[in-house]
Amino acid sequence: MLRLVKAESFKLSKKLKSWLGPLLIMVLVLIAFPLSIDISQFDLDKFYFSIIVVSLLMTSFVATEGMFEEDFEDGSLEQEFLIEKDFYKLVLSKIFVYVCLIGIPIAFIGALFSFANGVAIDSFAKVFLLLSISNLLLFNLFAFGNALSINKGAMLGVLSSLPLALPVIILLGTAVRSIQFGDGFAAIVALMIGVGLVMSAIMPLIISAALKTHID
Amino acid sequence: MKLLSAQNITYSINGNKLFHNLSFEINAGEGLHIKGGNGSGKSTLLRIIMGITSPSKGLIETYDQDLNISYLGHKNAIKNYLSPLENLKLLFNDAELKIALKWLGRFGLLDVQDELTASLSFGQQKKLALIRVFTKSSELIVLDEPLVGLDKTTAELFSSFLVQKLSDGVGLILTSHIDPMINCKVLNLEGKNAETS
Repeated sequence: MLRLVKAESFKLSKKLKSWLGPLLIMVLVLIAFPLSIDISQFDLDKFYFSIIVVSLLMTSFVATEGMFEEDFEDGSLEQEFLIEKDFYKLVLSKIFVYVCLIGIPIAFIGALFSFANGVAIDSFAKVFLLLSISNLLLFNLFAFGNALSINKGAMLGVLSSLPLALPVIILLGTAVRSIQFGDGFAAIVALMIGVGLVMSAIMPLIISAALKTHID
Repeated sequence: MKLLSAQNITYSINGNKLFHNLSFEINAGEGLHIKGGNGSGKSTLLRIIMGITSPSKGLIETYDQDLNISYLGHKNAIKNYLSPLENLKLLFNDAELKIALKWLGRFGLLDVQDELTASLSFGQQKKLALIRVFTKSSELIVLDEPLVGLDKTTAELFSSFLVQKLSDGVGLILTSHIDPMINCKVLNLEGKNAETS
């Protein structure tokens, strides 16, 4: 497992486009969106959360594109199958590395921008935690979509898994309201962490089966 | 010692039988050369042997559940955006890396070890991919057209490596249109009636 985590983090760190791209998109959307609207019409410190949610969805979407495609194309998946006999550990490692190298920086950027746009400083840690967990959930979902259509253009599969992200967005919206009104945040976060743990354990199994079908 | 046996392997695609009722065994120190024209199912058979593809009928039985297989197929499984050295570091632990670096030298790739793999020629990329097979210790080596793209010197080096591995008791299964210059059983998939000689 450690071998896979090391290998995946090394590979991702060498693919500048794959990890820097989503971060830049996040920054661009967070800067450009408020500039493109008439701020006087909105209470930006409340409205800003919506922008973060949309940015988060977009960046998770972009970050997971091609997650397995390269390994499928160059034959690495077959080599990994010979070693491990399935892809569970590979998928788990990939999602872990993507969350650490892309998801957590995105969450930090989101929290930083929300603070810069009027959200109270004592909410910084809450926003950061919330976005980190949301990223874990979204990366799992989009990794599944990616694995579904690996040989037909990974974006198609990611698009098809987009509806699965709706419950995550609803949960995120509820958590945001709980931050704004200062009530029930711990319960929502506990629920999201629970869902995240279950999803992180089960989703690699499903993704592993999808990948096996593709190399068969 | 038996490594693997195939019993009545049949593979059909879109209702057409690619091969039918193939049976063979591989023992330690024994080689099997699978021959056949384009589209006769050589690569598919290799993938069935390794458990990557499921046969339509029949059974592949390995005598050790954890049979250690080294495989090189049509795809090199190397990363074009990394240098050859980085590719090797990705694959091997420290002890294996020392052996891999020796092979890198023997293949004449030391001069390009820090360049992008994408900028190497097809033959150089193939040599880099072969280092995986040369370095990893395994009980069975499975190779799909390993000699394609290799120059004469490397091909001879490769053949002598295989001979050495066979004498060390490693099993070998390969497909090749080029004579691999080693003594081994032949399985001919030409036509519908495959036979082992």
